[in-house]
Amino acid sequence: MKKVLSFLLVLSMVLSLCAFASAEGKTIVYWSMWESTEPQGQVIQKAVDAYVAASGNTVDLQFKGRTGIREGLEPALEAGTVIDLFDEDIDRVNKTWGKYLLDLEELSAANDYEATAIASLIGACREAGNGKLMSIPYQPNVFNMFYNQEIFDEAGITANPTTWAELLDVCEKVKAAGYIPITCDDAYIQCMIGYHLSHLLGEAGTHDVVMNGLWAETPAVLQAAQDYQELYEKGYLSPTIGSSVWPANQNGELALGDAAMYLNGSWLPNEVKAMTGPDFVWGCFAYPALEGGVDGVEAANFGAQTLAINAKTEVAAEAFDIIKYITQGEFDLLLSIESVGIPSDTTNTEWPTMLAAVQPVMESLTTRYSWAAGIEDNANVTPIIKENFQKLVSGTIDAQGFVDAMEAATK
Amino acid sequence: MKKNRGMIVTFLTPALIFFVLVFLYPIIRTVFMSFYKVESVTAPSSEWTFTGLENYASLYGTQLFRTSMWNLFRIWAVGGVVVMSIALLFAVILNSGIRFKRFFRAVIYMPNIVSAVALATMWLQYVYNTRYGLLTSLFKFLGWEKLAAIQWTDPTHMFWSLLFAYCFGMVGYHMLIFSSGIEKIPTDLFEASTIDGANKIRQFRHITLPLLRGVFKTNITMWSITSVGFFVWSQLFSTVTASNQTITPMVYLYLQVFGAGNAVTERNAGLGAAVGVLMGVCVVCVFMITNVVIKKDDYEF
Repeated sequence: MKKVLSFLLVLSMVLSLCAFASAEGKTIVYWSMWESTEPQGQVIQKAVDAYVAASGNTVDLQFKGRTGIREGLEPALEAGTVIDLFDEDIDRVNKTWGKYLLDLEELSAANDYEATAIASLIGACREAGNGKLMSIPYQPNVFNMFYNQEIFDEAGITANPTTWAELLDVCEKVKAAGYIPITCDDAYIQCMIGYHLSHLLGEAGTHDVVMNGLWAETPAVLQAAQDYQELYEKGYLSPTIGSSVWPANQNGELALGDAAMYLNGSWLPNEVKAMTGPDFVWGCFAYPALEGGVDGVEAANFGAQTLAINAKTEVAAEAFDIIKYITQGEFDLLLSIESVGIPSDTTNTEWPTMLAAVQPVMESLTTRYSWAAGIEDNANVTPIIKENFQKLVSGTIDAQGFVDAMEAATK
Repeated sequence: MKKNRGMIVTFLTPALIFFVLVFLYPIIRTVFMSFYKVESVTAPSSEWTFTGLENYASLYGTQLFRTSMWNLFRIWAVGGVVVMSIALLFAVILNSGIRFKRFFRAVIYMPNIVSAVALATMWLQYVYNTRYGLLTSLFKFLGWEKLAAIQWTDPTHMFWSLLFAYCFGMVGYHMLIFSSGIEKIPTDLFEASTIDGANKIRQFRHITLPLLRGVFKTNITMWSITSVGFFVWSQLFSTVTASNQTITPMVYLYLQVFGAGNAVTERNAGLGAAVGVLMGVCVVCVFMITNVVIKKDDYEF
């Protein structure tokens, strides 16, 4: 019995070695920011499977999740771990991990990649990559005002507001119809003041304020605070906007139809689709222009997740082929459908119904803000802005109190 | 003894090597790193820029870090008193001969085996929620409108809501440690004092408490270590971006080392290392003060 067992073990070992020796093709290691259970992860898995079947290569696809890739990618790259391909947000990939990226200009040109890519996003990638294409965008997103079309219709609102005065008018009508005009959660609340300030000053101005503590010295800060104080005083903001921990109001007020508007990303319909159901009609408009403001409705935070190739990879062409599988044609469309996202391939002209209203807004944008329009650029200040803005929009402090609190906290 | 030397070296060397590699080297590297500006935590030392005590000065001059230290102190001091008091009370009650001791002990300990994510979600969405949360519903039912109107997670109440939820989950762990200490006390001491006419309160004051000195030291040290590492609950109560009311030094460290929220912010692992060093010093100080304040057991049993 022992001899038979020994023989079988040796045989299996020899066969394994033979199989290994005869294996052809290359191996590409891909670290993804998604979880395997998310729609994005599932579609990426399908795209990779299709690539493997067509190419004969092997792909070691590892789903790291947001935290996993944020904390683990750089140490792994520093330690020399073989990672050929990875993905994350456009700014983090290009700015935080920029030194690890392979210049993709040649590969892109050789594959005529830009022929079907969204020009503005490729431009955003070049801008983030200091003039070079160091990453390829997929699953584009835009951060703007999303609303419940049914509430707008019931309130008799026929046109999207383009100025602050028009927004006030919309809020009044929504309130008169018995709904909460604007809601938000703690995770995104500082984006409101960020957008407002950047529309007044431009993102560079907002950056200057938060990095150098110029809260009292910049009149636009007081104006932004006064505008939000007015929203509070007129009852246009959710009564729980100053205390809501994400996703309480996103789910409880917006998705369930109590509130009309929420400043958020185009991922919002996907996040709440289980609550809204398929019949929920989403509207979207650009953050309104402000009197005397530097930027108007053409400015917003838009971008994408991006795929990038390790500069030290030995399988650059193969990694770029995987990028094409994910970001073009069939799987880009599938990703758009499954994750209720925007397609990144211009030949996929059909956007998900839930995002139909986002398309004209996305296409009208020409000025790109980074995340939160620069208001979160200083990690030492963001929590203080958040707290004081929560107090402002819930009436605990007034506009001058906001400016004073910020000035005191950053001096 | 000479014969054993070889054995001692053989058995101790691997442990010593691992201790040096896994504990001593990272500690020394962290202390060194705290005097440098380092962009990435794994950057080679050739990329470090020496800044002397600048990281420590920067921490001292940053209001957000001072706020995080104040939050930590409140968690440690207020939370510590509350958790230790309730844990000790439960431990004494459980060891007073009540029925269903094991059942109650399991119930009190249960929050420790539930994921912090689930616990925090329960507190945030089902207890503190101002629309349909337990507290709001209960106070409305009782007709206490002022209490029902309180927004438990606004900047005014957020810290205390967080601390209450955290303490709820920590009582069971420290109760078990107290309980094991009480179980070790010989029952004859209690029997003798009962014969002498001591009631339960006097027994607790003159027998249980003095004989639990060592256990108190253990509990305070454990509480200090977990407080210094306070991170997950803070993150869960302030999703995506940190909050002034929930930030702790460990969260601040994370922001400096890995960047904050969704924005790309300046990173300095050296600053993070300085936070780590300060936290280590805090734990050592607490341990030393505890040793001085709570004298060594005079009794043997």
